[in-house]
Amino acid sequence: MGMNDSQFCDENSFSAKNRLKSELRIFLFFAAIILLLALSMLLGPSGIGIPDMESSSGSAIFSLRFSRLLMGMMTGAALSASGVVFQALLRNPLAEPYVLGVSGGAGLGATLSILAGSGLFVSLGLPVVAFISAVLTLMIVYGIASQGSSGHPSVYSLILSGVIVSSICSSVIMFLVSTASVEGMHNVIWWMLGSLQPVSSAQQQLSAALILGGLGGIWLLSPRLNALALGREMAHYQGLHADLVLVVGLLFATLLAATAVSLSGMIGFVGLIVPHVMRAVFGPDNRKLVPLAALGGGTFLVVCDALARTLLAPIEIPVGVVTALAGGPFFLIILQRRMKQAWIA
Amino acid sequence: MEKNALSFRDVSAGYKHRKVLDHVSFTVREGEFVSLIGPNGCGKSTLLKTAAALLKPLSGVVELFDQDVHLLKPARRASLLGVVPQKIESPMAFTVSQIVMNGRISSIGRWGTLSPRDHDLVERSMIYTDVLGLRERYYTELSGGEQQRVALAMVLAQDPDMIMLDESISHLDINHRQEVLQILMNLNREKRMTILLVSHDLTLSASISDRFLLMNSGRLIKAGTPVEVLEPQLLSTVYNCDLRVQQDPYTGYMQVSGAIDSLHRQKKLNRNVHVIAGGGSGIELYRRLLIEGYELTTGVLNRLDSDAEAARALNIAVALEQPFSPVGAEAIAQALKMIDSADTVILTPVPFGSGNLVNLDLARAALKKGKTVLLANDIADRDYTDGKAAVQLVSSLLNDGALGWQSMPELMLQLQQHSYNRYQ
Repeated sequence: MGMNDSQFCDENSFSAKNRLKSELRIFLFFAAIILLLALSMLLGPSGIGIPDMESSSGSAIFSLRFSRLLMGMMTGAALSASGVVFQALLRNPLAEPYVLGVSGGAGLGATLSILAGSGLFVSLGLPVVAFISAVLTLMIVYGIASQGSSGHPSVYSLILSGVIVSSICSSVIMFLVSTASVEGMHNVIWWMLGSLQPVSSAQQQLSAALILGGLGGIWLLSPRLNALALGREMAHYQGLHADLVLVVGLLFATLLAATAVSLSGMIGFVGLIVPHVMRAVFGPDNRKLVPLAALGGGTFLVVCDALARTLLAPIEIPVGVVTALAGGPFFLIILQRRMKQAWIA
Repeated sequence: MEKNALSFRDVSAGYKHRKVLDHVSFTVREGEFVSLIGPNGCGKSTLLKTAAALLKPLSGVVELFDQDVHLLKPARRASLLGVVPQKIESPMAFTVSQIVMNGRISSIGRWGTLSPRDHDLVERSMIYTDVLGLRERYYTELSGGEQQRVALAMVLAQDPDMIMLDESISHLDINHRQEVLQILMNLNREKRMTILLVSHDLTLSASISDRFLLMNSGRLIKAGTPVEVLEPQLLSTVYNCDLRVQQDPYTGYMQVSGAIDSLHRQKKLNRNVHVIAGGGSGIELYRRLLIEGYELTTGVLNRLDSDAEAARALNIAVALEQPFSPVGAEAIAQALKMIDSADTVILTPVPFGSGNLVNLDLARAALKKGKTVLLANDIADRDYTDGKAAVQLVSSLLNDGALGWQSMPELMLQLQQHSYNRYQ
């Protein structure tokens, strides 16, 4: 070994330096998150700064801002983590809840239940109906894509049939909206634009439980997602129940996306681009990526929402507009510089 | 007592609309080093997939260390059998050590933790395959040969009792090929690891293997020692080309080489061959003759016939007749002119009916002009004329000095001999 000693030394110090760098990066990330969350508590249509906690209106404003922060964290974390899983399972940078028709299916289910009823039953039933219709949509997409293949659809046919089913879903939503009553139409459109207006506390608690469960499940699955990155066959050779991991992963990711949609409507961009940026900054190891992307996605949405309610106050800009307009250029710059660390172009 | 490592018992397997393996039976004993050989597309990769339970056999049983491979738990199967595929692609930028870590995925704890033994196995397999120095590099940035060593490291980290490699050493440079083979031989000798190597380098395989399995079109043609399997006649038929096998006088190893002689090296042979074909029976012959450097003409063919289409695509002069019409005088005159300038006329195994029977008259004319005429054998199977006219014509041609041919390698040999005799 004598001859190689110095070589090993160099490599050890090299990898130690790398580890330090990545630890520093994570530390900075957490610092930025705390700072941004605190900052977003200061922004709102009633003015910038800490509201007067002594007055009743001041404490109401504060608690409203805080519950919007919670809504944003939940929705953003769920969308972003679900994007990580879809991209890892399908080994494709295009995969995300919208492309696979999951969000469209959840949206259709949610629209139906918004138009059908009102009250607590709807608000509690919304996540459940959204999840069921999202799973059904995914099964249809999977079924269509499997036609003609020997049981395992290719990624390309999955994405293609996902896009088709997704646009069918949005056509049906538009049809339902156009034939609905004025009130129903208003409710659905407002919800579709995407908003972090707090829902009932019962729905919030149910959604929080579903999202935490989904995130936990995905995190436990994450080492296996790494193995699936080398393809279904290789994962099989390595003793993984590859098909089971695929199905369970898809179910968890669908649960997260559907809950997010039922909570805050159709907010795009978070599920696609946040996972990419997080992967570019922290590498593709899903054990780290899942929690980091959840935190990053949540914070990103909270900050966008703070901007959305402040910039043109008292008018509130739909948060989906801000995610794309503000986030797009910023993330494009990061991706331009660091795409190689995430995907092979 | 030696156990069976891998047994195929009358296994047929394949995909939804295509059966690939056709009643294959063999046994690899524990501790054996076996090479699986055969031409492209003969079913070697399908055999590996079936052995690793990725494909379920349509019929028959696959046993891994005497247990039905489809009844084994995935983690247990991975501890018995590792597979190094032809190529592993990672669309995401994983580092080498992250990739190799995947080899331990089946023993990972519920909380995603690995034991010290897992880490040792990963480290050891990276040292073995000389990829430790690459561990912080991105897998996708590595050269093909480096990627293959990383893939081998990942599979060794599984610590399996048997390894199957699917042409995985073909991309390695000579230094690392020797090294990887040395690693495999050491694992085979010292740990009694069973190895099944899919290989296209017959000479190399002969020097390291205990036994060969030879496949062709989904069937196991022969199993035995290198000396038993590497038979020139057998290989030439299976690989459809002329092969030579010699025993190295010093090492005793078998050496297989393609028979390329000086005639083949000349670009232009200035030898003209006229081919009488039809119905697609000529395409393979056109290809071979063009590769060997012959000047080609062909006909009479009907327009739209698949041979006519192929000849046009390959820029071969064709004597043509209208589609679905009997051959007329004009086309015959054209073909006769081609035969005049040819040295040899070859008849492919084309089916004969009343419409193209006249092509045999062309062969007769060629024989009269002193050309060498080579006729495909087994005319009786392809004669659809009334009263077996084609059979009679062919047998009279053979009587008058035409020669028969059976297989493509044999035909090529005959052609060469004729060129040789004529020009010496």
